[in-house]
Amino acid sequence: MNIISKTNKLEKQNIFFKIFLWIYFVISLYPIVWMAFYSLKNNDEIFITNPFGFPTHFRVENYLSATKTFNIPVYFFNSIIVSFFTVVGTIAISLLFSYAAARMEWKLKNVARIYMIMGLFIPISVILIPLSKLLRDMHISNTYLAMIIPYIAMNMSFAVLVFYGFLRSIPFELEESAYIDGANVYRTFYSIIVPIIKPAIATVVIFIFLQAWNEFTFAYTLISNQSIKTLPLGLLFFQGKYTTDWGAMGACMTIASFPMVIIYLVFSEQVERAMTVGSAVKG
Amino acid sequence: MNRISKNRVAVCIFTLPALLVFTVVVIYPISTTFYRSFFKWDGIGEAEFIFIKNFKNLLQDDIFYTSLKNGLVFAAVLVVLQIGIGTILALAVSDNSLKGKKVLRTAYFIPVVLSITVVCQLWLQMYDADNGLINKIFEKIGISYRQNWLTDKSTAILAIAVVNAWQYMGYHFTLLYAAIKSIPEHFYEAARIDGATRIKAHLHITLPLILETYKFCLTFAVAGGLNAYANMLIMTNGGPGTDTYTLTFMSFRAAFQTNEFGYGCAVAVVLVIESLLATLVINRLVARERITY
Repeated sequence: MNIISKTNKLEKQNIFFKIFLWIYFVISLYPIVWMAFYSLKNNDEIFITNPFGFPTHFRVENYLSATKTFNIPVYFFNSIIVSFFTVVGTIAISLLFSYAAARMEWKLKNVARIYMIMGLFIPISVILIPLSKLLRDMHISNTYLAMIIPYIAMNMSFAVLVFYGFLRSIPFELEESAYIDGANVYRTFYSIIVPIIKPAIATVVIFIFLQAWNEFTFAYTLISNQSIKTLPLGLLFFQGKYTTDWGAMGACMTIASFPMVIIYLVFSEQVERAMTVGSAVKG
Repeated sequence: MNRISKNRVAVCIFTLPALLVFTVVVIYPISTTFYRSFFKWDGIGEAEFIFIKNFKNLLQDDIFYTSLKNGLVFAAVLVVLQIGIGTILALAVSDNSLKGKKVLRTAYFIPVVLSITVVCQLWLQMYDADNGLINKIFEKIGISYRQNWLTDKSTAILAIAVVNAWQYMGYHFTLLYAAIKSIPEHFYEAARIDGATRIKAHLHITLPLILETYKFCLTFAVAGGLNAYANMLIMTNGGPGTDTYTLTFMSFRAAFQTNEFGYGCAVAVVLVIESLLATLVINRLVARERITY
C-alpha cells in the first residue's frame, strides 16, 4: 500500500513537471511564432478576425514593403559588414595576443593577460560617454569604424580568455620540433598553432558574431547616419515615426531574426557552448 | 628553442595591437569617466573642477532614487524569474526518461539569439492595450482584465523586466542544465536506496553541487538588472514620466541629452560601485552557504 501511494505521488510529480515544461515551451516560442504569423497578415486579420492562429492567406506584400519602404536590405548589409569585420579583427588581434601570453617567455605576461581579461567585468555604461567623445575627436563617429573598433575592444577579453585556456592545453613539444626544423616563430604560429586551435576559433566566431549582430547600446549612441545603421537600429519603429502597419513590421522583424535562428538551429551545440563557455571562469 | 620563444620583437608584434586597442577604447574611457565625475562640464567647453559636488547633487536628485530603485527591482525580477524558472526547467529536463528534450532545450534558448530590438518591439505589441496578444488572451478566456501595461506607473518597470527575463531565461537554463548534467549518476544512488523523492534528492544533492553555477547566474542576472538600459529605452523611453529610469538611462540622458557630461559620469561611477558591491555580496553569500553543506 505504502509503495503504491509513493509511486502515485512520483507519477503526479512527473506529470506536474511535464506540464510545466510544455507550458514554458509555449511561453518561450509562441510570441515568436505569433510574430511570424502576423508578418503574413493584414491589420484586419491581426486585430479582429484571426489574432492568434495561422494566417488565412499569405500576404507576401508585407515582405515586399519591408524591403522597399523600410530599407531592410540596407540595414541587413550594414549588419553583415560590421559583424564580419568585428569577428575578423577580434579573432586576429586576440589570437596573436593569446599566443604570446600562453606560449612565449616574457616578463609581465601574466599581468598583461589579466589586464586584457578585466574587460569582462566592465559595464559598458562607464565607457560609453567618454568613448563617444573620443570617436568624435578621432573623426570617425558615424562611420562603420565607430562600431567595429569598440566591438573589437569589447569582445577581445572574451576571446583572449577562451584562446588562452585552449593554447595552454596544447603540448609544447609541437613547437619545439618545428623550431628544430628551422621554422621561425611566425611560421610556427601560422602553420602549427592556428590549425590546431580551429575548434576554439569556431566557438569564438559564433559568440562574437552574435554579439556584434545584436549589439544595440553602442550603435544607438554612436550612430545617427541612416545609411550605416545596423538592423537593431533600423528596426526601431516605435521611436520616431510610429507605424500602424503591423504586418510589415512583423515582416521586418522576421527577416532580421531569421539568420540568427537558422544559425542557432544548425549549430545549436556550438552556439550554446559559445554562449556559456565564459561562465566557468567569469563567475 | 628558448631563444625563439623569447623573441622580443615577436612578442611586441603579437601583443601590441591588442594592448593598444584595449587601452584606448576601454581603459582610457573608464579613467576619463572617473576623472570627469569631479567636473562640471558640458563635454565641449571649459571644464570646472567641482570635486564631489556632482555626487552631492545626485543625493538630492529624485530621479536618482527612482533609478536606483528600478535597477534593484529589475535585478530582483531577473533573479526570481530567470533563475527560479531556469532551475525548475533544468531539473525537469535532466530527467533521463523525458522525451523531446532536444525540442524543449532549443525552444527555451531561441529568444536568447534574437536582437533586443526585435524582442522589445514584439513585446510592445504583445502589451498593446487594444490589440496586444496578452489582453486578447485575457479577453478570450473571458476575464475583463484590460491593462495598459506600460503606461501604468506601478506595472511599467515590472512589465519591462519580464521582457528581459523572458529573453534570457534560456541562457540561465542552459548553464544550469549543463551543470546538472555534469553531476555523476552515483551521487543519487544512495538517495534512491533510501527512498527519497526526486525533489528531495535534488534539494539535498543537486543544488548544493551546482552552487558555483548559481554564483555566476546570480552575478549575471544582477548585473543585467542594475545595468538595464536598452529595454526601457526601446519600450518606454524612461516613461511614464521618469518612472522607468535606471542609472544607465539617467547617466546617458545627462551626458547626451542635457549636456551635463560630468554629472552623467558621476552617475556611471555610482553604477560601477553598485555593481562591484553586488558582486562582492553575491560572492560572500554563496561562499558562506557552501560551507554549511
